[in-house]
Amino acid sequence: MDIFSNFGNGLLTVLQPENLLYCFIGVFLGTFIGVLPGVGSMAAIAMILPLTFYLEPTTALVMIAGVYYGAEYGGSIASILMNIPGTPSSSITCIDGYPMARQGRAGVALFTTAVASFGGGMIGMVVMAVMSPVLAKLALSFGPTEYFAVILLGLVAASAVSNGGALKGIAMVVAGLMLGTVGIDLTTGDLRFTLGVPELRDGVNLVIVAMGLFGVGELIASIRANKDGRGQQKIDYAQFYPTRAEWKASIGPIWRGGGIGSFFGALPGTGQTVASAVAYAIEKKVSRNAANFGKGAVEGVVVPEAANNSATQTAFIPTLTLGVPGSASMALVIGALMIHGITPGPRILTEHADLFWGLVASFLVGNVMLLVLNIPLIGIWVRLLQIPYKYMYPTIIVLICMGVYSLNNNVFDIWLTLAFGIFGYLMRLYRFEPAPLLIGFVLGPMMEEHMRRAMLLSRGDPMVFLERPISGTLIGITCFLLVYGLFKSFRQHRHGRVRPLPTTE
Amino acid sequence: MKPERLADESPDIASAHYRWWAASGGLFLALVSLYFMYGGLALGLGSPFRPGTGAFPFFTGMILLAFSLTIIFRDLRGDGLAEDPDWISFFAIGAALSVFALAAGRLGLVPAAFLTTVIASLPDRSLPLPGKAILGSVVAAGCWVLFIKLLGLPFDAFEWRW
Repeated sequence: MDIFSNFGNGLLTVLQPENLLYCFIGVFLGTFIGVLPGVGSMAAIAMILPLTFYLEPTTALVMIAGVYYGAEYGGSIASILMNIPGTPSSSITCIDGYPMARQGRAGVALFTTAVASFGGGMIGMVVMAVMSPVLAKLALSFGPTEYFAVILLGLVAASAVSNGGALKGIAMVVAGLMLGTVGIDLTTGDLRFTLGVPELRDGVNLVIVAMGLFGVGELIASIRANKDGRGQQKIDYAQFYPTRAEWKASIGPIWRGGGIGSFFGALPGTGQTVASAVAYAIEKKVSRNAANFGKGAVEGVVVPEAANNSATQTAFIPTLTLGVPGSASMALVIGALMIHGITPGPRILTEHADLFWGLVASFLVGNVMLLVLNIPLIGIWVRLLQIPYKYMYPTIIVLICMGVYSLNNNVFDIWLTLAFGIFGYLMRLYRFEPAPLLIGFVLGPMMEEHMRRAMLLSRGDPMVFLERPISGTLIGITCFLLVYGLFKSFRQHRHGRVRPLPTTE
Repeated sequence: MKPERLADESPDIASAHYRWWAASGGLFLALVSLYFMYGGLALGLGSPFRPGTGAFPFFTGMILLAFSLTIIFRDLRGDGLAEDPDWISFFAIGAALSVFALAAGRLGLVPAAFLTTVIASLPDRSLPLPGKAILGSVVAAGCWVLFIKLLGLPFDAFEWRW
């Protein structure tokens, strides 16, 4: 079959020594950063981005993907050992992972997490290999009108269901769209909002926005969070391998978690956090062991990990085939590809087949690496968690500075990063999430271009967005999400409920 | 992190001072959107058939203005702020980045990394000053090995240019 030969070619691409090396570096660094609480996969990708400019596009994408799912896996280690989610999507893993660790079964929890992540990742990979060509074929018939509608849906979905409330989420998306207009207008050549600064003519660099909002902004917030002492768990290696009964109990949850995760991962705006939460809730309903959930049930660790890892892989489906990212991390992936001159979209499967299938195959290779490496490396991650944060965060700040400075060898970029860092931190205080802003920033220029083209083709009739069936349907769904999100946000407000500020994916 | 502030538990939430402070995030966005609308008008809106350079910024600015006014209205009623700001860390990190920006081109990479590390670690009082200096030296040496020796980036390790 076509898929198998494509996949085989992809595997050959990944198995080239250079790609293998960077896949390893990506997975390793991702796990490393994911283990650190308060620094999520977003910051991890942002920090790695400048490095990827020097690489081949395929190698770069393989490495970024490795960082992404490595960070998701690393996040679960901190959840289990310290009850602090290293990444937001692993917060569900705390519920049963930490009780397991307190019962002296941290080793078993970490081991089953590794296996569940692998299983979930593989399910996600298969779904991606099967679904992407189908979606790409559909997307080939899309014109500017449809693309505008898809982008609009992606933007609203990513913000209306965000944790900070729909109102502020959408405000941040719109602010991102506006930020995307800074620089030379590609259609007319006019300068827009550059404030007379020559460095802003090419627009604001994506790395700077991401580093400022996620690197600097999150770091400031994480300093106080990490000041308090940390619970430390000793790992008993004698109790490392799950019992036969625990193995048996894990198989069903891996399938269910992987399936649910694949579905939510591919939907724009939901992502791993929603995937793992829904999978956990469903598993609790169907499991015979439901009474033990929350008290250290193996299933309670397996399900969210399988779900968030498969969601991590399927998130690439809309990102690559439509060019519409479902989350801020995926927006960074699009940004990285565009820097290499590759526009994600349905043609990526034919024009850049080696890149696409190389990425799919790298999920297999990278997940095997995670599995094989992390079981012996768990000791290192545990020791890493014991390094006080007072040594870590100054180092991370220097790495951020170096990453930004290496972009253009220009000090102005550092000042701009500082400005975005201040903006990001202050907006966090006001319960505005930075992730929607980044998505808007990446999609803004595309959205504007498609809007202009659609208006040109329809001779200035805006009704064209509603009249064409696909775009009309998408806009209908968008309106529904918008109304639902705002309604929920207002109702929540009336109840006076204040939810904890989430860190972003 | 301090426990989450619940809207109905905070005593000072009713004060007008707190409310305006809580709403200032929305105010900022409203000002930004006005600036983009003004800039969009100046650039030209064009026609529906051929939208001009300023059309997209103008209309997105208009949407943001509507949203930020709603947000201001809502935040004035109470629950705008999520957490108490950690100003010490905020200023330390800000100063660390500023010092890197000032020092990188003038003193070279190694001194810049050293100073940035020391300044960033200032808010943590559990690490004594000599410890901060050792940490700075280790990070600076690591940067030199990683970025100049291994990656070969075109930076000067040391220089003197004012």
